[in-house]
Amino acid sequence: MTPTAFSPPPSDADHDDLRQEVRAFLASELADFPPEKRAESWNGFSRDFSRKLAQRGWVGMTFPKEYGGHARSALERYVVSEELLAAGAPVISHWIADRQSGPLILAKGTEEQKRRIVPRIAAGELCFCIGMSEPNSGSDLAATRTVATEVEGGFRVNGTKVWTTYAHMADYMILFCRTGKSDDRHGGMSQFLIDLKRTKNIAISPIIDLLGEHHFNQVIFDNTFLPSEALLGEKGEGWTQVMSELAFERCGPERFLSSFALIEELIRVLREGATEAQQAEIGRLSAHLMVLRKMSRSVAGMLNEGKNPSLQAAIVKDLGALFEQDMPRLARSLLSRPAVPSGRDSYAAVLAYTQLAVPSFSLRGGTREILRGIIARGLGVR
Amino acid sequence: MESMIYDMAERLFRDHVTHALRESASAGQCPEALWKRIEEAGLTMALVPEADGGFGVPAAEALGLVRIAGAHGLPLPLAETLIANAVLARAGLDMPGGRLTIAEGDTLVLERSATGFRARGRLKMVPFARWADQIVTIAAIDGTDHVLSLPVKHLTLGPAQDISGMPRDDAEVDLDLTGADIAPLGRSAGGMRGLGAMIRSLATAGALETILRMTVDYANDRVQFGRPIGKFQAIQQYLATMAGETAASRVAAEMAADSYDTPSFALTVAAAKSRTGEAAETVGALAHQIHGAIGYTQEFALHHFTKRIWSWRDEFGTELDWTRELGRAALSSPRDTFWHFITDSTAKGASA
Repeated sequence: MTPTAFSPPPSDADHDDLRQEVRAFLASELADFPPEKRAESWNGFSRDFSRKLAQRGWVGMTFPKEYGGHARSALERYVVSEELLAAGAPVISHWIADRQSGPLILAKGTEEQKRRIVPRIAAGELCFCIGMSEPNSGSDLAATRTVATEVEGGFRVNGTKVWTTYAHMADYMILFCRTGKSDDRHGGMSQFLIDLKRTKNIAISPIIDLLGEHHFNQVIFDNTFLPSEALLGEKGEGWTQVMSELAFERCGPERFLSSFALIEELIRVLREGATEAQQAEIGRLSAHLMVLRKMSRSVAGMLNEGKNPSLQAAIVKDLGALFEQDMPRLARSLLSRPAVPSGRDSYAAVLAYTQLAVPSFSLRGGTREILRGIIARGLGVR
Repeated sequence: MESMIYDMAERLFRDHVTHALRESASAGQCPEALWKRIEEAGLTMALVPEADGGFGVPAAEALGLVRIAGAHGLPLPLAETLIANAVLARAGLDMPGGRLTIAEGDTLVLERSATGFRARGRLKMVPFARWADQIVTIAAIDGTDHVLSLPVKHLTLGPAQDISGMPRDDAEVDLDLTGADIAPLGRSAGGMRGLGAMIRSLATAGALETILRMTVDYANDRVQFGRPIGKFQAIQQYLATMAGETAASRVAAEMAADSYDTPSFALTVAAAKSRTGEAAETVGALAHQIHGAIGYTQEFALHHFTKRIWSWRDEFGTELDWTRELGRAALSSPRDTFWHFITDSTAKGASA
């Protein structure tokens, strides 16, 4: 068997009605949403938009009906996700919960956790953040130092998390931390479900990114008490739980559509007249996009069948980041038109935003180097 | 059924397509005995409908044979014969058996004559022409595509080869054709250029998988500085890059094979041929870098595969040809947004 083979994705022809419904919804909801806002891609925040989307049944689509979900397939969810991303809709308020936290709670949570949390995710009401990276634990996740010590009735948490996206807006955090000692570097880790609005002794402060925007935060736990029922899944199984969660994070259309607003702007300009060289570059871009989309849908199909496509997910993330990160260079090679932040020329404004956003694309969700290490091991490099 | 014909092909090629056989073929020796086995196994008819003598497997599965042949560096026109037979069957022409090949026919001038038709012109770089019995091509007269079956013995060949040493001969055509040699195509299957591009994409995808496997094995075995070179992160990064390009190539080639005979084919084959051609550059370069000097020798098998992928990307349209075509379609598509063009391009039954 070839390790790099991707299963054929299920056909998406059956979901054309759904696709058209989503397009009609987006055309009306985002009618006045300008290109430079669309350029923010899935980092745009709007509780209002997330709630409206949920009212249409497009949040928590794959969750079981008894938990407020819609029992639809991963491929139907995929159609909605890619339409949202292609339109540059502001989705981050529900995105993380819908993509990984909800599925994680459904898979590992207690019945009480599922009943309390999952229906509100599906209603588009809850924003989640992920407490994973630390000042001295970036790519090396096993170096995590934040520790939860067992006390009467629960745990006391001490430590610092960084780069926590939207912690300042989020209702809940899924915290990854140490709960015990282990000879195995990956042992002794656990995950917790933390109600950020009601838990005391958590200090959240902004880390401003190079765009000048507030997405990231530092989150300090200072003797923070968590009740026993905050434990998510098995104590000591945190590493395995996080690794399977990452497969969901790594394969979706957000891994190659982050620069899509720039592509649309570029093509809008080139439609007015393109040289053969420009046509060829747009053709190359189209070929890459068609293939990435099929690979990503294949991984969605494999996840749906309960397979573990972590090698394939890492490949999609690596190729996807190369693609979306290359867009400012490509645009600049085809058009001599300088980047101007927030100017009147929407192409120039989108280029300016995207230029500043792209360095993060091969860092978030696993750096390029870490992903390639995973891929090499998956190939059987000993 | 799928695994049965694949297993049969895998076994046949593994046992018979040896380094020595590839060496002698690139020195000009046609592997006749192997061809007989391939024909006896029925592989040459896999893409023909069951009613015309095929296996009755879906086209995409039959086309998987081309990827497997590519993975073994088969120095014979199996892929060309598969396509030639399918096109002959489509036009209702006789399938004569034997080795067949295909050529783009747009350089031919087709005229009506007293006896039927007359074809004149020069077919360029025809794969394996000197080892083939018939060249099957498609040319238009009065705006209708016709399939032509040209007996090689009545053509004048100008011998040449590609950079892997495989025959790529020019063929001078000046022939009277009767109803047995020519027939209207009916529904178009994508033209010989598109069909040729599809089989080269599939073969490239297979060869890339072989190159990747050889390179991983080499990185695990070769010891320098006291450890296998695969332990070095620089080498691991190269291997991961090769893996991404290899995986993308197979997905791209299968995207074209999946839409064989549908309206999506024109766009998917353009994507497949350009994407696999691009991957051939990256994967070939990194495979040689990791293999070091041994990979640059005649005795080591790597060159048979890297030369083939570099040859195939030049045939039936280069990356530049196909990306221009795809880009023109994208920029002139009537859809409101580029995104609609992308989602429509691979949807089944889309009008391309």
